[in-house]
Amino acid sequence: MREKAMKRTGARFWGRLTKEPLFAFFSLTFFTVFFCAVFVSLLSPPPALASSFDIFQFEGPRMKDLYYPVIRDMDAQLLAMSTGKLDVLSDIYRPADIRRLSESGGVELSLAPTFHSFMITFNTRKFPWNRVELRQAAAQVVQRRQWTRDLFSGYCEPLTTYLPPVSPWCDPSPEELPQGMEAARSRLASAGWTWDRFGRLIAPDGQPVPPTKILCPPSSVAATTTEIAQLMADALNELGLPVEAEPIDFQTMLARVDRHDFDACTNAWTMSRDPDVLYAFYHSSMDVEGGYNLSGIADPELDGVLAGLRYAPDEAAARVRALEAQKLLCRLVPVAPIYSRYSVAAIRSDWNGVFTTERSTSDNMLTLISMTPKEGPDRPIYWNIPEEIRTLNPFVSTTAYDWTVLGTIYDSMLSVDPWTFEDVPWLAESWDITTGEKGSVLTFTLRDGLKWQDGRPLTVEDVAFSLGYIKDRNIPRFYDSVKDIESIEVDKDSRILRVALANTSYWHLHNIGGMPVLPKHILENVPDWRAWQPTLRIHSALDGTEMTELIGTGPFTFRESRTGEYVHMTRNEHYLLYAPAAVSTPSARAVSDAVSIMMN
Amino acid sequence: MKAFAKRLGGALAVLAIVLVLNFFLFRIMPGDPLTGIVDPRFSPEAKQQLAAQWGLDRPLREQFFVYIREMLSFRFGLSMMTGQPVWDELKNRVPNTVALLLPALLFSAALGIFLGVKAALRRGSIVERLVLWSGAASFSFPSFFVQILLLMGFAWLWPIFPLSGSSSIPPRTGLAGAVDYLWHLALPLFSLVVLSFGGWALYVRNMMVKALGEDYVLMAIARGLPRRRVIWNHAFRSVLPPVVTILLLSLPGVVSGAVITETVFSLNGAGRFLLEATNSHDYPSAGAAFFLLALLTVGCNLLADLLCVLVDPRVRRGGVQ
Repeated sequence: MREKAMKRTGARFWGRLTKEPLFAFFSLTFFTVFFCAVFVSLLSPPPALASSFDIFQFEGPRMKDLYYPVIRDMDAQLLAMSTGKLDVLSDIYRPADIRRLSESGGVELSLAPTFHSFMITFNTRKFPWNRVELRQAAAQVVQRRQWTRDLFSGYCEPLTTYLPPVSPWCDPSPEELPQGMEAARSRLASAGWTWDRFGRLIAPDGQPVPPTKILCPPSSVAATTTEIAQLMADALNELGLPVEAEPIDFQTMLARVDRHDFDACTNAWTMSRDPDVLYAFYHSSMDVEGGYNLSGIADPELDGVLAGLRYAPDEAAARVRALEAQKLLCRLVPVAPIYSRYSVAAIRSDWNGVFTTERSTSDNMLTLISMTPKEGPDRPIYWNIPEEIRTLNPFVSTTAYDWTVLGTIYDSMLSVDPWTFEDVPWLAESWDITTGEKGSVLTFTLRDGLKWQDGRPLTVEDVAFSLGYIKDRNIPRFYDSVKDIESIEVDKDSRILRVALANTSYWHLHNIGGMPVLPKHILENVPDWRAWQPTLRIHSALDGTEMTELIGTGPFTFRESRTGEYVHMTRNEHYLLYAPAAVSTPSARAVSDAVSIMMN
Repeated sequence: MKAFAKRLGGALAVLAIVLVLNFFLFRIMPGDPLTGIVDPRFSPEAKQQLAAQWGLDRPLREQFFVYIREMLSFRFGLSMMTGQPVWDELKNRVPNTVALLLPALLFSAALGIFLGVKAALRRGSIVERLVLWSGAASFSFPSFFVQILLLMGFAWLWPIFPLSGSSSIPPRTGLAGAVDYLWHLALPLFSLVVLSFGGWALYVRNMMVKALGEDYVLMAIARGLPRRRVIWNHAFRSVLPPVVTILLLSLPGVVSGAVITETVFSLNGAGRFLLEATNSHDYPSAGAAFFLLALLTVGCNLLADLLCVLVDPRVRRGGVQ
C-alpha cells in the first residue's frame, strides 16, 4: 500500500520535473543547496559548545594559611611528602619517584596529559633536510611507542600530531605516515633516492648525503633527551644517513640554533591552549632572529593557512584553519613529533576537596580553594615550589614558579573550563566579539560587587587602567597581548569595557581576557615598572590593616616571603568564591573517578 | 714597604684586567639574555622591546662605559632575571652563604690540621691509617650522595634535623629564631665538614711528615726541648705559611657558595644565584658577582702575603725572594 503510494508520488514528481522547466529549476537548485550544505557540515567540525562548567559550585578558600616552601632537590621533596612536611607536590616526572610515592602510602597521585611537546627539528634551509621526502622518511623511522615505553615507563604519550592531544584543537584524525624502516625506504625509493653499495643514501640528483648531526643537551642535563637523539641517529643511520647525536651545552645549543648553525636538534615546548602558537613555529615571517620558526620552513600554502588561523574572525573559522594547518604540517614534516609528557601530581590523602579532571591533575586552583583536612583542626597548606621565586613583580617575572604564586593573587576577565579548556566567565560576567571598522572589538561586562584584596571596589576603570598601563609602557612580558589595542572605552555605570583592536583575530579574546587585572590605585603610584618591588612597599587596606602593594582579586593575599625559602599567603576574604558559612563545613570531594586517573 | 706597594700595584692591574674581561667574556659566551627566553608567546618584537629596556640595543662601546661606571661606583644596576637591584640580590644571599661556609671552612681546616698532625706523629699506627682512609673517603665521595644519605638518615629515618631551608615555616623570632637557624644549618654544616676535612688532613700530614724529618727538628729534639714545643713551634711553624695561604685563598669560595649543598638542603645562597645568573646571561648580576669575587680573591692574596711575613721570619729577613 505504502509502496504503491510512494511509486505514484515518484512518478508524479518525475513527470513535473521533465515537463515544467520552472519546477525543474527550483527543484534542482534546492537539492544542490541541500547536498552542498550536508557536505560542508560533514567536512567542517561542529561549532564549539559554550562551556557548561559552573565555577560557582566551588566555595573557598577554606584554609587560612598557604605556604609555598622552596624544596629544590627531588629526593628531599619526596622525603618531605612522605613525612607530611609537604601537602602538594607538582611535576613529578621520574618513573622511579612516581612508583616510590605510590607505594609509600598516605599520598594520592593524579595523572593528566599536558601541553608539552617534544620534537626533533630539521633545518629545512639546507640539504639534506630541505627535502620533504627525507623528512617524511625520518618521521617514519621514529619508534615513538617503544622509545617512550623504554625511557619513560609509559608516563608519556607518543606524539604524532603538531598540537598535543590534550589540546581541544588537536587534529582528531591526523594523516599518519606508515611507520617503519621499510615504509621509509620505499618512500625514498619512489622519490628517486638510491643507496650506494655501502648502504649510504644518494639523492635523486646523485648527491651523496653528507654527515649530519642532531644537537641535544648533554646527558647530565637531560638524560632522556640525549638518549632520544642517539636513538634517532641510530634509526637514521640504518636508513642510510650518516647522522650522529652531538650533546652540547644547552646555551651553546640555543645560540647555534638561533644562528641556524645546525642540521637537526631536539626541542621541547610547553604550548598554550590556543593553536595560533603554530604561527610562531611554522610561519615564514617567524624565521627571523628571536623567532621560533627554528626549522625555517617556508611554504606559501602553509603561510596562508597559518595567517588565516592567526587572524581568524571567529572560533569556527579558526577551527577550520587549525585543522588545515595540521594536515599540511603532517605532509611537510618540518619537525618530527616524538612524545608529550604527562603531568603527575601528588597530594596527601588527609585532605578533602581534591579536584581533578581528565585534563588536569590535582595541583590546580580549584583544589587549592577547596582543600580541608579530613580530620582535626584547620591547618596551613604546604604547596611545594621546586625553584626559588625570582621576583613577584608581575611585569618582570617570566618563570612558571613566579606565576604559581602570582596566579593566586591576580585574576583575569576570563577563566578556563578545566574539563574542556573553553572560556568561562570570571571577573567579566559576559563578553562579546564583533568586527568593527578596523578590526575586532571586545566588549566585556564586569561583574558587580567585586573587591580588591584591600577591600576597595574593583571597577571597570581598574581594568582599563591596567591594560593602558601595560600598553603605554610596551612591557615585554605582555607586549604581544596588548600591542594591537587601538582604544579602550569604559561605561562605568553599566560596567562595560570596550577594547577596539587594530586587526581582526579571535585570539584577541584570550589575549585580553587572560591578562592579569591590577588595581589602578596601586599602579598610578608606580612610575618605574621595572624596579617596582610590590612586596617591599607597604599599603594600607580599607580596614587599616597593613599589607603590601601586591594586591589582586585572587583567593590568597601575599603576606611575606623569604628569598629562596618560602612564600606565605593568607586567605582573601573578599574573594569572589569566598563564603564564610561554607568555610566551617567540610567540602565534598569533587573528584570524578571515571575520568581522573588516581594511581594508588 | 716598597715591595708591598709593588704588590698592591700588581693587584690593581689584575683587577683592571678582570673588570675588562668580565665584560667581554660574558658577551663572547654562546647566547645572550634573549636566547634563553624559549616561550613561543614571546615574539621577536617583544624580545626587541626587552633588549631596548636592558640597553642591549646600544653600541658595545656605550654598554662598556655604562658597565665600568656601574662597577666602579658599586651600584651594579638591576638584575635582568629579577628586575631588582643586584645589591639587594647579593645582600639577600651572601650572609646565608657566609654563615654556612665560613664555619664549615674553619671547622674542616681545624679538624683536618689536627688529624694531619696526629697522623704524622703516629706513623704506621692505626690512627694514621684511620686518618688516611677517612681523609681519602672524605673527598672521594660526591657531595650530593653524602648529603642525601645524611638527609635520609637524620631528617627522615631519625627526624633529628629539618629536611630543608634555613628556618622553620612559619619562622620563629628572637632567641628561638636564632636557635632554629642554627638547628637548620647543623646538617649542611656537618656535611661540608665531613666532605672537606680530608683534604686538609692529608695535606698537613704530608707536610708534617716532611718537616718532622728535617735536621732542625732533630736538632731541637737533641737540645732537649719539650715535645709539644718541637711539634708546634718548629715543625708546624714551617708548615704554617702554605696552610695560611690555602686558608685565605679558600675565602672567596665562602662567598661564591656551594651550589650542590644549597640545592640538596634548599638553602638560599649565592652559589645558585651565580650559576643561574651566568646561565641566563644576566650581565649585571654575573658581572657584579664576579667582580666582587675577583676583589675578594685579590684582597685575600694580599692578606696572605702580609700574614706570611708575620708567620715566617725568613720572609721578613729577605731569605725568601
